[in-house]
Amino acid sequence: MSGETERLSEELERLAPGQWELYEKAAESRELDSAAGERAMVSRRDRGWAARWWAGGGPRFACGSCAEELPRAIAEASRVEAAAEDPPAWPSAKSEGARTAPEAEPPPDLFEEIQGRLAAESRGEAALKRLTLRRGASSIRIVNGRGLDVFFSTTVYDGIALAAGRKGARACEGRAVFRWDRGPDLDGLARRLADRATLPLSDRGAPIDRGEWLLDPSVAAALLAAVAPLFCEETLPKWVHRRDLFSPGVTVVDDASADAHYDGEGTATRRLVVVEGGSLASPLRDLRSARRSGSPATGHGVRASYRVPPRSGPRRLFFEHGSPAPARELLARVRRGLFAAALTAPARFDFERDRYEVEFTGIVVFGGRAEGAVAGALAKGRISQLLRRLAAFSTDRQFFPMPFLVGAPTVLVERSEFE
Amino acid sequence: MELDTALVARWLEPLARRPEEIAEIFAETRREASVDWVDGQSSEVRTQRTEGVSARWRRGTRQCLAFVSRRDEEAARDAVRAVQREAGVSTMPVRPVRPREAAPEEEEPHALERWARRLPAILARHAPRHRLRWTLREIDRQLIPPRGAAASFSRRLLSLEGSFTAASRRGDETRRFSFHAPLADATGDELKSALARAAEPRDTANPCGDGETDAVLAGGCAAVLFHEILSHPLESGVESPLSGLEQARLAPSEVEVRDDPGRLDLFGGYERDDEGTAPRAVKLLDAGRLAGRMTDRSHGPAPSNGHSRRAGPEDAPLPRGSNVIVAPGPATSEEITRRLAAGLWIEEIDGGSVELASGRFRLRFPRARRVRRGRLADECGGGFLSGEILPVLSSIDPALGREQRPYRALGWCARGGLVVPIQGCAPDVLVRRLRVRAIA
Repeated sequence: MSGETERLSEELERLAPGQWELYEKAAESRELDSAAGERAMVSRRDRGWAARWWAGGGPRFACGSCAEELPRAIAEASRVEAAAEDPPAWPSAKSEGARTAPEAEPPPDLFEEIQGRLAAESRGEAALKRLTLRRGASSIRIVNGRGLDVFFSTTVYDGIALAAGRKGARACEGRAVFRWDRGPDLDGLARRLADRATLPLSDRGAPIDRGEWLLDPSVAAALLAAVAPLFCEETLPKWVHRRDLFSPGVTVVDDASADAHYDGEGTATRRLVVVEGGSLASPLRDLRSARRSGSPATGHGVRASYRVPPRSGPRRLFFEHGSPAPARELLARVRRGLFAAALTAPARFDFERDRYEVEFTGIVVFGGRAEGAVAGALAKGRISQLLRRLAAFSTDRQFFPMPFLVGAPTVLVERSEFE
Repeated sequence: MELDTALVARWLEPLARRPEEIAEIFAETRREASVDWVDGQSSEVRTQRTEGVSARWRRGTRQCLAFVSRRDEEAARDAVRAVQREAGVSTMPVRPVRPREAAPEEEEPHALERWARRLPAILARHAPRHRLRWTLREIDRQLIPPRGAAASFSRRLLSLEGSFTAASRRGDETRRFSFHAPLADATGDELKSALARAAEPRDTANPCGDGETDAVLAGGCAAVLFHEILSHPLESGVESPLSGLEQARLAPSEVEVRDDPGRLDLFGGYERDDEGTAPRAVKLLDAGRLAGRMTDRSHGPAPSNGHSRRAGPEDAPLPRGSNVIVAPGPATSEEITRRLAAGLWIEEIDGGSVELASGRFRLRFPRARRVRRGRLADECGGGFLSGEILPVLSSIDPALGREQRPYRALGWCARGGLVVPIQGCAPDVLVRRLRVRAIA
């Protein structure tokens, strides 16, 4: 235990015997931001401490970027009364092995290469405007008042690309956020950017008001991310029927064991089946929601940063399907429908009213054949119906940062209303 | 902790030998306290004390920035060394780390305690059933250049955001609430008035319908429209339908819009920008003509007019808007309602976006009042207003409202994930031929 962590742990133990947690993070990243003729390199070295403790009945949280400042933040948070809440059942694992933090390498300059592939993919209609590539590494240590002492490290290679499409007087922008776990996928990125930047240039709206709806993996992932709050809710909306929330073949899993051995509270990561055969199975629980529901934590205490307390949430959520088919088979099944290639606005899901609206750009499909671009279309209806109409899944599952990782293949929705 | 400016300036000198080179150290200390309030009880208390230093070097189209999450001499030295390596300048020697001295405790009690006592009474009176987060941010920044004077500046910003249950003729309804203001003596009273207004009883809302409509943006919320259609496209370095239209008449001559960071009574104000330049108000529309752009030291065309802004020390600065100010006109609310004749009267906009390449924008409103035959009529539910920058600027009615109001619900702007405080104030503005679509 480092001197700083030991000193802070002693202070927390005095303040809230046995009912505290200390999170320490050290991160390093290298980022290359490129635009035509411009290059900016950003290197960041970030450390942070976050303390959570139950004193006087209620939970409190304090964080600081130096160990010297954390006690002051703790003292400040202690000045205000908080409503009583039982402390959680703290984990008490100890991790073994080397405690060395990985280093972040500078990312390569891929601007020209992606620019070239995008131009080819879009037949010269789209140009790369900006590309930000980031490589990062972080090491995390969590200790608590019940003997927990775990250490783990993570690495990330991700980025954002912005492209602009132009056709005559028409122009539009397309953005792609990506994460590369197995090395750069330049063709995939160029394809996504080309779709986002050129399909909206078409002057055609949705020619049909209902039909099948084929979702690109990125769109299907965005929809799964949009319904993910249902997997963490302690009180579900009235329209949710646990036993047939999704269509019978759908399985949704959260398994972040490839990313980290522990969650942001020190609970071991495990594979959790969230939806099984269409039925809502296990909810995602952090320590506090587990305490409230009287069930064990599932390893889904997620910290967006050391600056905010952990909350229950997905970590690596994905669709699983027993009998996936190639994407071209799904396309062949569309008699009269739309293929959603990319979202043009964030999907809107209103759980209280059981309504959704998804704006997208894509392609008209008649008799299993692509019949031209659709600049913009709106799919809308009841969330409950949408989830029960997921009819087929493809084999081409991909993961997208939303911001947690979401994996989805091409998905066929058997019926939807369009505008 | 303030850095020794003379010492740090000496470190930077080798990085800024040529006139076109920019080198600087930017330091920030941020104290934040937030309390989650649920029906009068504080359910969670959070505090944050973070700091950081970044060194930046720029020559022409090449830039590098190094960030270290401490604000002391050792961190500044580390950041400068990292930048020197990237810039190809010989690096300073590594010095042994000295233990940091504990800073003296502040004598002034934190506003957290004062507000924790005061807020429950305000909420109990106007919105007793609520889920709201109160946040106070104290941000202290310092900018050290290699030559010339260093600049220090600070801001204290208060926010209250979340939802509460209010009465309507049909029964209880959940309403969203958002209030952002710099901390001042009058902030509490202003917050009370805003909550009281937000909690007023309302009639049952009907869907606002889809199609084309004229709309009055009232209560200061027109500031959101001008933030999207003027501030963003006029940030230097941005390409938009306004590029190349300098001095062109785009709106009626009665329309005057400026961006003014010097309005410290608004959430987006500041005394120095994040490159240390004293900010100037920039006319965006002058008598309906496109007038100026917001610039920083790296993005021309003109010298910096003090609009360089950073989300934090870990990010490079960019030219950004601050407070968008729309000049008032002579018309009363009644006159504007008569001119509208039929359409929507909107007093709240809770989100907006613009796609700069095409110039298409979209604003989301949570509710509206329908105007029929020049009179306020029934309540409508929420929807989206959309349009394109140039047609909408030309369809602004010349009769602007006579009362200019700050729009406190507007507090933050994100561009490429970089979030900075902003705000604006505006009179009632009538805009013709907007597209409207009801939220399903």
